[in-house]
Amino acid sequence: MSKHDPITLEIIQNSLRAISDEMFSTIGKTAMSPIIYEVLDMATAIVTPDAELASAGSGIPAFVGALDKSVAKVIEQHGLDNIYDGDIFATNDPYYGGVTHLNDMVLLKPVFYHKQIIAWTVNIAHWNDVSGKSPGSMSIDATEIFQEGLRVPAVRIFADDKPISGVVDMIVCNSRMPDFLKGDMWAQIAALRLGAIRIIELADKYTVETYLSAVDGYLQFGEQVARAAINKLPDGHYKIQDLQDDGSKLNVSMEVVGDELIIDLTNAPSQSSGPDNLSRDGTLLGCQMALMGLIGDRNIANGGCFRPVTVKTLAGTIYHVEEPGACGIYFETMIRLNDLLWRCLAEQITDQLPAGNFSSICATIMGGIHPDTGRHYSIIEPEIGGWGAGRGFDGVNAMFCAMHGDTFNCPAEVAETRYGVTVSQMALNDEDGGAGQYRGGKGIVLDYKIRNDNSFLTCAYTRSEVAPWSLNGGEAGTYNRIEVIRTDGSSERHAMATEVRIDTGDIIRVITANGAGYGDPKKRDRQAIASDLKNGYVTPEYASKVYSYTGEANG
Amino acid sequence: MTERIFVATDVGGTFTDLVYFSEDIGSGIQQLKTAKSDTTPPNFEQGVLDVLEKGKVNVKDINVMTHGTTVVINALTERKGAVTALITTQGFRDILEIGRGNRPDFFNLNYQKPEPYIPRFLRFQIQERITYQGNIEQPLNLDALPEMLAKMKQEGVEAIAICLLNAYINPCHEKAIADAIHAQSADFEVICSHQVSREWREYERTSTTALSAYVQPIAARYLEKLNQGLIERDFNGQLYIMQSNCGVDTLNSAKQVPITMVESGPASGFWGAAALGHIIGEKNIIALDIGGTTAKCALINDGEVPISSDYYIERSQTSAGYPIMVPVVDLVEIGNGGGSIAWVDEFTKLHVGPQSAGASPGPVAYGRGGHDITTTDANLALGRINPEYFCGGEIKADMGSVDTSLASLAMQLQLTSAEVARGVVRIANNNMVNALKLVSINKGHDPRDFTMVAFGGGGAMHACALAAELGMKKVIIPATASVFSAWGMMMSDIRRDRMLTYLRPWQPEHIDSINNQISQLHNELKASFVSEELSEDKTHFLVFGRFRYQNQEHSIEVPLPDFVALEDIDSIKELFQNMYEKEYTYRLDSDIEMVGLHLIGQADIGKIKLAKKQQTGRLLNETIKGERLVDYALEGIHNAVIYNGDLFEPKMAFSGPAIIEQTGTTIVVHPEQKIRIDEYANIIITLNNTGGSK
Repeated sequence: MSKHDPITLEIIQNSLRAISDEMFSTIGKTAMSPIIYEVLDMATAIVTPDAELASAGSGIPAFVGALDKSVAKVIEQHGLDNIYDGDIFATNDPYYGGVTHLNDMVLLKPVFYHKQIIAWTVNIAHWNDVSGKSPGSMSIDATEIFQEGLRVPAVRIFADDKPISGVVDMIVCNSRMPDFLKGDMWAQIAALRLGAIRIIELADKYTVETYLSAVDGYLQFGEQVARAAINKLPDGHYKIQDLQDDGSKLNVSMEVVGDELIIDLTNAPSQSSGPDNLSRDGTLLGCQMALMGLIGDRNIANGGCFRPVTVKTLAGTIYHVEEPGACGIYFETMIRLNDLLWRCLAEQITDQLPAGNFSSICATIMGGIHPDTGRHYSIIEPEIGGWGAGRGFDGVNAMFCAMHGDTFNCPAEVAETRYGVTVSQMALNDEDGGAGQYRGGKGIVLDYKIRNDNSFLTCAYTRSEVAPWSLNGGEAGTYNRIEVIRTDGSSERHAMATEVRIDTGDIIRVITANGAGYGDPKKRDRQAIASDLKNGYVTPEYASKVYSYTGEANG
Repeated sequence: MTERIFVATDVGGTFTDLVYFSEDIGSGIQQLKTAKSDTTPPNFEQGVLDVLEKGKVNVKDINVMTHGTTVVINALTERKGAVTALITTQGFRDILEIGRGNRPDFFNLNYQKPEPYIPRFLRFQIQERITYQGNIEQPLNLDALPEMLAKMKQEGVEAIAICLLNAYINPCHEKAIADAIHAQSADFEVICSHQVSREWREYERTSTTALSAYVQPIAARYLEKLNQGLIERDFNGQLYIMQSNCGVDTLNSAKQVPITMVESGPASGFWGAAALGHIIGEKNIIALDIGGTTAKCALINDGEVPISSDYYIERSQTSAGYPIMVPVVDLVEIGNGGGSIAWVDEFTKLHVGPQSAGASPGPVAYGRGGHDITTTDANLALGRINPEYFCGGEIKADMGSVDTSLASLAMQLQLTSAEVARGVVRIANNNMVNALKLVSINKGHDPRDFTMVAFGGGGAMHACALAAELGMKKVIIPATASVFSAWGMMMSDIRRDRMLTYLRPWQPEHIDSINNQISQLHNELKASFVSEELSEDKTHFLVFGRFRYQNQEHSIEVPLPDFVALEDIDSIKELFQNMYEKEYTYRLDSDIEMVGLHLIGQADIGKIKLAKKQQTGRLLNETIKGERLVDYALEGIHNAVIYNGDLFEPKMAFSGPAIIEQTGTTIVVHPEQKIRIDEYANIIITLNNTGGSK
């Protein structure tokens, strides 16, 4: 049998996936912060010496291509001759390969085999607090990246496999939550080391040449898969414009030429004076995520997939921010971009992609003093919402948005213990909307009753003024928002807010949108409407008005 | 009485099996017989009574009958349970439908959530509230109950699940609702969350309670009827039911919470591996069970089978599945068995599984019209399985069809048929190696320190290659391999696990309340044994605490004394630190906290003994059936000696390459591996750690 027989290559490729997954579960099990182990605001990867993604650890789509860019930046900054075995680098700065925002710390380890770098193990995780003007480092009103925390511009933090104390101390010292930071950092380091050991084992067993050749083949395979997916799209030039909550409009122009995809985002608003900017790398990532949604297979996610895609941006726009633009709330711009690309594709291939969903991270940040322990707590969580209907199926109820994946929400029983709040309901959102031959899935209504004075709420929700988009004559969905219900019975509506004061007995009610419908509601199966009525998914009035249904409720 | 009679019966999806051991008390000599009859849904007890009759077992002579069943898991997966209603705290009826909001198939934008077992119109809410500290914030209001029950009756509800928020810490409202239901109506089976789980996380506990109620009527009915049927046949022995925690339990206890039987099948095999290890002095074992559609493995460390409540049904890379938070043997299962299908994707890559050819049409070699090459077919093509002794000689392997199907795959892949057959076995092995790594390396255990015990139809076929790949030094194929699950059942103790979420900082001021909780659980367990007249000198108890660094999520189980003294605090913390570092390569100087307690109560019920095999003086030569060429993939093609394993006797020894054919399985021994037969007729294979399926 030849040295590079296809079965051996296949086995090495399987092992790459297994290693990425193993690194991923190591971080999940050892991290200190719920945003890492529950929300899975993290990713792991093996990257080639040429800074291409060899394999990505399972978790969330939003970070699929986040980790190759940092490797390129570290090599550029330090030069290959100055990178040694036992080094670990860190970057969180979107202007230095950090891609997203300062909370997301990327750690990188070169994997040496007989003095040659054969791979990098890399991971990224959301750190609770990296300094900056507001607790949690993300604030809606930041205008410069300097207000968002400590910038770590692709620097060496470990040498000879030991922390460089000055550097690590400085990072730790700059956090409002240093214990969490240390725990999370070590979780990431444990994963980097473990991945490196596994890769060296592969090289030992199969030789470096075979290992590298398997990686090459794997990237080619990724490319093949992506080209096949693009090839299935009808050739053409698609344009779409999408209205946003603030009245602005986003544009994309997409060109499909055979198995190549060109995404043109040059017609974009100027970069924002607020924190909702994407770096050029972040925009690439958003496009790569949309492409993966088209491929739809979690087992094939590597740099090869991204080869057939070209993304055009213009410096100085929200998709290509220039220093010192702020990026803390980058994720709402990224999910808006993802939704825009999705809609543009879905209108071409309505049988493959469902209609619009609640499509927001719905970042909800709450904090204060735990009434029973006296310790400071902070909740940083995305919310779940309604998904759009597709041809042949109703939308899914209460699920994380497309940027998230195998992300878990926090159980009420855990939240009540950990944070000292009372969760007084977690229910499906029964408001009208999202009707269709197939109806949209339901968002949620989630009540947090706060048990201490001087607490705060910060939130960043979009799709709060413009509802999720339907397909083929379905109805639009509903709106994401937070209602704060005060003890005197008054209430306020919020979507983008920083440090709203909350006192004892106030209720923070998270309401997420119902997804949009697919097809004319009049064509909905009558039995399905009867069942919806019986289960209380629609009201009799809505059934009669929108579905023209006057029959009985029936399961 | 000069002999003791042990019977194991096992209700499977298609067949109900019987294994019968009689043990002469004086000589210890055992006799074994087996029988099989059809499973008889929905009256499963009938199949058991049938198989006893078919096996000509005199029911009144049985000393111990252990009963395993797939009725619970099948009712769940086939959606054949009872019409079930749910009662929750006001504001939480949708929790069953919301789940945790996760999308495991995260690039798939058309992902569909698993459908809840209880539809929304059967989910009711009641006014009450308990705080996370167990205090009553809002008293229970039962005014709405009569109307709820009337509606349930109208909808044909048979079982009611009750799961209230924070009931894990204070179940008083759940108990009050259950009492009120019983007082108002005798029409429902009622199960409360605290009876099934005392752990936090409302979705997981609600799901567990809902699924438990869903199977309750079926399982309770059939266990009761089984008991009746046995009594009518003058059964005079002890009846025990196999549980998912590797123990058995009394009928009475099993009937109350039948969901604990959900994974009882795999549990008995893994318990068998631990029990065998105990007898022959192997405390560190990786147990491997390869069946027709899946391979399962578990790691036994220092004689302990790992039990956890992190269990799901129908969970995969593409589905979130349904959590069932009861004590289940902690195993990894993958879709790779003898019947797993090899296939080529649109990018001409070869895959094996998880689709299986099942029993019908089965592997191509069955000649029942199957065209898809399976792992079994590849093993035949490589000469590892004897086409003339296929399925114990019951089926003539259709090698013509195997060759045709292999050639078709070979054409797609542009390889030779032999390369494809090797490829199928190597990929299947690689999938299994990854599963074996998940239970060992991933948890900080070096497989080189473990012995592999392999069973199930395909276990012995792949075990030697897998062990070599992982650098393991020894593989054991048990003498009772063909009836290993049944044997494991007969080796079980009564075992009851109590897991409780009880979050406390690991500080001196909390030790009193922790000790109180330990003794409360201890007393509960003790009382449960006493109430069933299980004598105290045969019972023993183990206590574990679940610890983590403050703020982490994942915890590690650390053994605790029955009573924690203040001077134990540091040594227990140190033990945690050591265990943590072993698993995760670093330690922190942070505070630790206890998340919960896990108590295990065991009662010895007089198990079967493992009999030594008599030596008749048979020569090794007399066990040789012949020779044939066997393809060992990367180790090349060798002329292997074929042995009849059913004729082996203690002290026989020889070297590979060899193939051992015996009832129920074929053992593939690679070149340079050494075999000896121990005094019980277990087959012990030692590896020199080279070779294997690189």
